[in-house]
Amino acid sequence: MEKGIDERNQELIHYVNILKNQIGENGLEDYYINELAKHTPTIVVKQEVYQKVAKIVKSHPDMQFEYLTELHGTDFQTHMEVFLYLQSISRKRSLILKTKTDRDQPIVASVTSIWEGAMWPECEAYDLLGIRFEGHPNLHRIFLGEDWKGYPLRKDYKDENPLK
Amino acid sequence: MIGWLKGMKYTLNQGTKEKITYQYPEEPIPLPDRFRGIQKFYPEKCIVCNQCVNICPTDCIQLTGKKHPDPKKRGKIIETYDINFEICILCDLCTEVCPTEAIIMTNNFELAEYSRSKLYKNLDDLNNHVTNLREENKA
Amino acid sequence: MLRTEEMILNVGPQHPSTHGVFRLILKIDGEIIHEATPVIGYLHRGTEKIAEDLQYTQIIPYTDRMDYLSAMTNNYVICHAVETMMGIEIPERAEYLRVIAMELGRVASHLVWWGTYLLDLGSQSPFLYAFRDREMIINLLTELSGARLTFNYMRIGGVKWDAPDGWIKKVQEFVPYMRRQLAGYHELVSGNEIFISRVKGVGKYTKNDAIAYSLSGANLRSTGVSWDVRKNDPYSLYDRFDFDVPVRQEGDALARYECRMAEIDQSLKIIEQACEQIPSKGPVLGKVPRMIRPPKGETFVRIESPRGEIGCYIASDGSKEPYRIKFRRPSFYNLQILPKLLKGENIANVIAILGAVDIVLGEVDG
Repeated sequence: MEKGIDERNQELIHYVNILKNQIGENGLEDYYINELAKHTPTIVVKQEVYQKVAKIVKSHPDMQFEYLTELHGTDFQTHMEVFLYLQSISRKRSLILKTKTDRDQPIVASVTSIWEGAMWPECEAYDLLGIRFEGHPNLHRIFLGEDWKGYPLRKDYKDENPLK
Repeated sequence: MIGWLKGMKYTLNQGTKEKITYQYPEEPIPLPDRFRGIQKFYPEKCIVCNQCVNICPTDCIQLTGKKHPDPKKRGKIIETYDINFEICILCDLCTEVCPTEAIIMTNNFELAEYSRSKLYKNLDDLNNHVTNLREENKA
Repeated sequence: MLRTEEMILNVGPQHPSTHGVFRLILKIDGEIIHEATPVIGYLHRGTEKIAEDLQYTQIIPYTDRMDYLSAMTNNYVICHAVETMMGIEIPERAEYLRVIAMELGRVASHLVWWGTYLLDLGSQSPFLYAFRDREMIINLLTELSGARLTFNYMRIGGVKWDAPDGWIKKVQEFVPYMRRQLAGYHELVSGNEIFISRVKGVGKYTKNDAIAYSLSGANLRSTGVSWDVRKNDPYSLYDRFDFDVPVRQEGDALARYECRMAEIDQSLKIIEQACEQIPSKGPVLGKVPRMIRPPKGETFVRIESPRGEIGCYIASDGSKEPYRIKFRRPSFYNLQILPKLLKGENIANVIAILGAVDIVLGEVDG
């Protein structure tokens, strides 16, 4: 196990170097190994370069994260976060990519042009959290319908007609 | 054509097999002991610890306790105990946390009623419920 | 002059062949579909929002109701997520029981798919045969857990009950029985010329499409991608068993059919090995603190459910309720490709294509 963690560390540093070369020093906010998530390398990028980073992690020969396993948002009260779990099927590696956005005006670039699989998950995040994905071909409230008021997964959401 | 004939042969063979359908509701369905149905409640065993209320994922249990009528004894005894079977999902967590096995599961599962109010079962309903009690209640 | 007009056809939401409450708006010109718009959300119960006010043990019964055809895998994914965060060791016997239960669930789920898919295609009897054999699995799982579908069997750190006396033996007897039945199914359906000409080449997509649209499970493996979380990122005890990942190259409905049928066979193989290896006694619940409080931080784990990769994300603030919980529900991701698949198709193929994706609406809507 120890060896595996060391390897993941080197892997992460390698990814970070590639990204730094392509988008400059300032785009990356943080990077670490998430020990709670089976030691998955995690990279947090700034909102402005998020789409650019997504393109690089998919196409760079040393990364090739061509499969989007999961995309969702979380309301952390101080900010909104978009969480992507990426998988490289050819290299058998995974990566967590995150970006933060403002809570009152949550706007993030859409990654549907990179992974078509992000189509519905982005709608889900928009529906339940109100995160707008710019460039999404058909952003709509996928579960609750357009006339639903408020975004239920936000921490300050109040139900209009509570059961009790 | 060959594949189709093979399928026909399989179908015809089934005619000789024994029937496997249940004759429900004329005959009751055999259920294993662990099956989870409508709860049985023993008021005399209850110590009013509130654990079943706290663990219930759908908040369908409500109970109140009162002081023990015998002044020499400490603790509380149960006064009211209601389960709302409109929202109870029979998940077995209340019987799992109960320290005295005052609430246990039975094998009775037929809950259909003509009136919604009959789905609110109170202490007497749950106490008088005496058939098909589950024998093994703790893992 | 002949004039053609676009017509809107509404399929569902209450139609048996949509396998739940799923609505499809089709724009058709004659028999050809120009545009297909899926409408979902009829079964959205807000599991993730409800779960934010519940303790981890209380969330387990809610997960039963997502993919209600294989509730065991759903139980497992949340337990696995919490166990990964807290570093809880699970006793061996419990883990074997989990594997047996999950694989039995996989067989049962694929049987439902097999029966209903053929029913969709117009063949009645396979449905009855599939449910006859599924009933045996359901009976086994009822004996183990106490419920027919919503098992609520797993607990954080182990399982609720040890197997009753003689249960393992019953499972061991079931495996050869199921193998014989499976051979019969192949005799009945797999070689049937009508069936093959109905599904061959229908709903075809390429490997690149499957990866781009985040398909998983048999939908992905039918295009030649050998990707199974049990093999590629082993969780639980799956590295101890000898089994193959069935892969087909064609990417059409027939390939998906073949993949799923081969998966039943592999699951039986796993069950057989697990029944042999399981320790005859031992605890079934590990050392778990009385109050389950995962450390502050976040986790994401995924496992292989019958429908694909099911994942669980938990963000914890160190309290007994999750701050945010999110399930990656494979049916939701798998269904995304449907508008693309239906475009330009003949209307007679709609149900054949939708059925081959294998969705459970409880899982699509979350």
